[in-house]
Amino acid sequence: MILDIAHYLSILSTAIFMLTFTLVLILDRSVSHSTLLIKRSYSHAFLLFLISFLLYVYLALTDNFSVSYIAQHSNSLLPNFYKVTSIWSAHEGSMFLWIIFLSLWGFIFNLSTDRDLKVKNLSIGIISIIIVGFQLFLLITSNPFEVVLPFAPENGADINPVLQDPALAIHPPTLYLGYVGFVIPFAYALAFLINKDQSIEWEKKVKSWSVMAWVFLTIGISLGSWWAYYELGWGGYWFWDPVENVALMPWLAATAFLHSLSVASKSNVLRIWTLLLSIIVFSLSLFGAFIVRSGIIDSIHSFANDPQRGMYLLAFIAVILFVSLGLFASRLNMFESSKNIKALSKESFISLNNIFFGVLIFSTMMGITYPLIYELIYDQKISVGAPFYNAIYAPITILATMILVISIDSRWGRTIDTGRSFNMLYISLAMGLIGLSLIRYFVGDMSFIIMISFLMGLIIIFRYLILVIKNILEKKYINTPSVIAHTGLGLLILSISANSILSSEKVFNMKPNEVRKFENIRIEFNDLELLNNSNHDSIKATFALDHNGKSFYLSPEKRKYFARGQITSETAIKIMPIRDIYLTIGEQLEGGQWVVNVQLNYFIRFIWLSAAMMAFSGLLIISNIIRRKS
Amino acid sequence: MKVHRKKRLINILLLSLLSGSGILMVLYALNSNLDYFFTPSELITEEISDNRRVKVGGMVLEGSVDRDNTTINFTITDYSETVDVSYTGIVPDLFKEGSGVVVLGYLNEGKLDAEKVLAKHDENYMPPALKEK
Repeated sequence: MILDIAHYLSILSTAIFMLTFTLVLILDRSVSHSTLLIKRSYSHAFLLFLISFLLYVYLALTDNFSVSYIAQHSNSLLPNFYKVTSIWSAHEGSMFLWIIFLSLWGFIFNLSTDRDLKVKNLSIGIISIIIVGFQLFLLITSNPFEVVLPFAPENGADINPVLQDPALAIHPPTLYLGYVGFVIPFAYALAFLINKDQSIEWEKKVKSWSVMAWVFLTIGISLGSWWAYYELGWGGYWFWDPVENVALMPWLAATAFLHSLSVASKSNVLRIWTLLLSIIVFSLSLFGAFIVRSGIIDSIHSFANDPQRGMYLLAFIAVILFVSLGLFASRLNMFESSKNIKALSKESFISLNNIFFGVLIFSTMMGITYPLIYELIYDQKISVGAPFYNAIYAPITILATMILVISIDSRWGRTIDTGRSFNMLYISLAMGLIGLSLIRYFVGDMSFIIMISFLMGLIIIFRYLILVIKNILEKKYINTPSVIAHTGLGLLILSISANSILSSEKVFNMKPNEVRKFENIRIEFNDLELLNNSNHDSIKATFALDHNGKSFYLSPEKRKYFARGQITSETAIKIMPIRDIYLTIGEQLEGGQWVVNVQLNYFIRFIWLSAAMMAFSGLLIISNIIRRKS
Repeated sequence: MKVHRKKRLINILLLSLLSGSGILMVLYALNSNLDYFFTPSELITEEISDNRRVKVGGMVLEGSVDRDNTTINFTITDYSETVDVSYTGIVPDLFKEGSGVVVLGYLNEGKLDAEKVLAKHDENYMPPALKEK
């Protein structure tokens, strides 16, 4: 009964979103009473859809296993928290949540006030029709409301155990919020193009929306990386898996977009380019959805292999791209030929930044699609792994950071004062070289490219340090968000380099009561314990570790989950500022021995700290914009 | 006007030259860092040099898993041909005899020295190359 209501509400909501789109088409968009009608229509469609989703959450909480999707992905033994998160543990529910977030962004945007009624109403119309496209996809190809016939199973099949984890519960929602958030700049850009009035400063209006979506995307990607680190037991933070890459591409594009937004709103150049970027960012988000949902690429994330879904999404993306790029091309002449960018001005440096981001996005796209093309042509399966991405990302990042440190004192519309600015650069270069020699002294030999990355990371941090000190002394304005985000970038480069050369691991075969030594750590296998939990049994091994006179215990586990009989490992991690001690156990061998893996992962915390700094700088930008408005 | 046009032409030429060489470099990096995916049967017919990293997918042959201290030896099969694998480290939780596995490594005298052993999150997983058959 409740299921039927939820299903009908979703269908009704689709109809009302369609109505909203139609209203935008036929009404006079410049008057306030039609604005009100459009606004109300959108709000009602959203609220109906939200109620439908909340009912679905209720069904999951109350173990309604007559719903096929819930029966397949939840279990009555699950704690309530995971009953809810099981909704986005597979395809249909993830899609449901994705559309909820898409329409939620639109809903908040709908409530905001905007003096340019025409552009605002057009944006609402564009958002509505995109929502309709996704809702039809949900209802036709991936219906979460399907029932099990003729009898409902007594118990559900359970959520995949590796997904029963708090970080994973919030990773997909945060990521989706980021992906779909870019619908606002996309829709507003299209509306701006349709409206043909170039005096409207759309760049300023979409700034806080875009930054917010970018913050969610940053946090979502980092959460995924953090989860993979402690849950998968491989000890890495990034695997260049296709699904990681399709999240990275919109992030890169969005970062480029935010940079060019500030150029376009401050100095009225790069406006066309910024419009194009807003289309690219949203298309890459949709492309990500297509790659993950179609199962076209073999990845640990791919959910389902359903060609129908893939075809629908591909066609949908094609229509959106065709329409938006067509509109873009037909409106190119609405801009009076813009001023030339002065050499060595802030605009010119940010243009360079955009080129670097473009190269990274292009290469990543090639890495993802090349195996598909290659297989079509040569009938040979290939995959592109870390070596390719390292070969591209390392040199480009180094080049980009060089430009960054040179550009730090640059100004809008003026050539940089090479004398003063370069003095600072030489000082930070000297400090960086001293830092690098210290690192080499303590760490020992390293490859050239790692040395250069250390140096670049150090120079960025020192250069910003000098900037902050100098501006405080001279009582000048400091662009705090920019300082924090770029220092975060420096820290990221440093910690990735340090992690890659310092981290080490070793595999032991150990019996209880045996002792092994790894570097300066003494590892004693204390005992094994059998534990019975609500939905799994577990073997818990306890190790006593002794490290520089400090001793502590680590207990990695092997778990067997009842519902699917699946076995998982739980890592045990001792978190320390400089390095993590990371322990996993493998299988039991003959003679009571266990395979034990010890990893020392250096500076891994700083990788996520730097991502957190970037996200925080985004929040600062938004709070600044809000403060300036009020 | 003519000077202006000439300048624009040079700009366009320069831009396409730059982006062209950029694309070529990316393609070159791609081609020198590919991992070829084979089934055991393809691995035997194909000639592969020792310094080429390959991915091999198949099922772990029943009764083939053998441990030697921290090294694990096993055989991958596609039910017509087999290839022997040796790996040092912890194999994934879903690794077991008779289930699907993907191995990444280098060929050494007909034997595969594995860098990585991957099993799927999903216990019903089969390497796609096998599923087609």
